[in-house]
Amino acid sequence: MPLITRLFIKSGLIYFLISLSFGVAMQIDALALAGMSPIFWHALMVGWITQIIIGVSTWMFPGRIKEESFRNQKWEWIAFAGLNLGLPIRFIAEPMASAFEPDFWSYLLILSAVLQFIGILSYVAGIWPRVQSKQQRRRQRAKATS
Amino acid sequence: MPLVSRILIKASFIYLSVGLLLGVLMLINKAVFISPVFWFLIPAHIEVMIFGWIIQFTLGVAYWILPRYLEDKGRGSKPMAYLIPIFLNIGIVTMVSSDLLNWNGMKLTGRLFELMAVLTFVILHWKRVVTYNK
Repeated sequence: MPLITRLFIKSGLIYFLISLSFGVAMQIDALALAGMSPIFWHALMVGWITQIIIGVSTWMFPGRIKEESFRNQKWEWIAFAGLNLGLPIRFIAEPMASAFEPDFWSYLLILSAVLQFIGILSYVAGIWPRVQSKQQRRRQRAKATS
Repeated sequence: MPLVSRILIKASFIYLSVGLLLGVLMLINKAVFISPVFWFLIPAHIEVMIFGWIIQFTLGVAYWILPRYLEDKGRGSKPMAYLIPIFLNIGIVTMVSSDLLNWNGMKLTGRLFELMAVLTFVILHWKRVVTYNK
């Protein structure tokens, strides 16, 4: 399993724990704070499910270059950085923006949106050409060896 | 990877990009209030991300990767398989349109199409959930 896949899956597992911890906290009056619901849902759906899909598809889809390097996996690394910087920034900035003077926190929210946008689009750019039929895969292999 | 899977998976990437764009617009609107109109995007964002992205992607991968039938190494009826992306995407587009345009009467139709997609998927895949290592 390539390093980038392990990173996606392990960070996904951490988000899974974070998400469910928020889910528990939301059910306890003393711990429930405003703005927890979007954090719970996005940690679960983006942090966990989307990241595990990205990690496993990067590993299992046809056309993976076995030699690991930033050059060969640039889209995946950009996706990892975008999502794993963007999500935590959002989780901190979103409640802060509603509790305190919003200017600084609002800029962080915008930064978070941009980072996640770049992250997901990088994943799509990297994986799109790997959604291919057996014939396309064979042609690609033949081209690479000739 | 069979064509049905490629259709489902590539469609799921398009929905992921669209759903992401809706999410980014709402997050930016939360940071710098532009218009209350953006809050009406929430149901469409949820529909696109759950049905368009996650469910469509998993159906595509399952069709590709579940064990094939031993006798013909196939995945069952092909015409039936093509109904999965057709029903599912009619359902999603109908649901999203009714969310955005406030056509509540269309939501039943949208969900019925999604149900037909899932029913077709279940019928096609039930017997493929097997082990050949006995």
